[in-house]
Amino acid sequence: MERAIADQLEALHPDAFGWALHCCAGEHGRAEDVLQNSYLKLAQQRAQHDGRSSFKTWWFGVIRFTAHEEFRRLRYRESLLGKLLLQLTGDAHDPQPSPARKMELDERRAELRRCLAQLPARQAEVLHLVFYQDLTLNEAAEVMRVSIGSVRQHYERGKARLRMLLQPEHLHETGV
Amino acid sequence: MKLESDDDLLEIFSHARRRDQKDAPAWRPELLERPLQRPATPLRWIPAALVAASVIVVAVFFTHAPTHEPRLSEALPPLFESQPGELFASMEPSLMSLESPSDFLLPDSLNPYNP
Repeated sequence: MERAIADQLEALHPDAFGWALHCCAGEHGRAEDVLQNSYLKLAQQRAQHDGRSSFKTWWFGVIRFTAHEEFRRLRYRESLLGKLLLQLTGDAHDPQPSPARKMELDERRAELRRCLAQLPARQAEVLHLVFYQDLTLNEAAEVMRVSIGSVRQHYERGKARLRMLLQPEHLHETGV
Repeated sequence: MKLESDDDLLEIFSHARRRDQKDAPAWRPELLERPLQRPATPLRWIPAALVAASVIVVAVFFTHAPTHEPRLSEALPPLFESQPGELFASMEPSLMSLESPSDFLLPDSLNPYNP
């Protein structure tokens, strides 16, 4: 691993974790797994930056892809066949949340996460990338692998919907 | 890109970012120093590999299976076995050497030997 790349990864590590957390719907334990698997891909050279985009957008794309892989694996494990196989192999999924999840006591942050979870996934992604990660819409489009026009549409609609969800009366109605 | 009117959202997201960064796991550079490993064989290739191996085993079995086909000379019935000898040797020779044994079948006009 080149020193320059390692330095970039270290500088991006907190935000990369934030992005992994978003991609895992706020589940702390899963986000850690996703980020660790993403680092593993780099170490094993299964993911390599080819310079066509900035390092940050490329790296966030790797994390996003890894989170989707993890989500598919989780969905399989929760399927009937997966549960049966897990019972046979004795590798049962631990239903207990990770201890780190208990740290999620900050109500304001939890509110934001719950509201984002009610948005379509693309809208929530672009809002996170723009407002949380401080990316431009072009960079967000690179991470999400969609056109800039599509990203702009998700951005505008997402903002309007999120503002509505964050209104106190709406939070009260939905019990958030 | 972010207009003044988006300050409310910026503030909320910034707060969440600060909180997340406090909870982020510590940076572990050793994760990047793992020895280079070959990626594990994907499970989806295992059934295909098993089928291919089975096909090869079956093909090899049938290719090298011993065959007991008899040789043609052994397979022919003894009906065709006969002692070597002159053709029509059993027939009496004609008085006239040019006469063929089947000349009597010819019409009279064509048979010069018919009396």
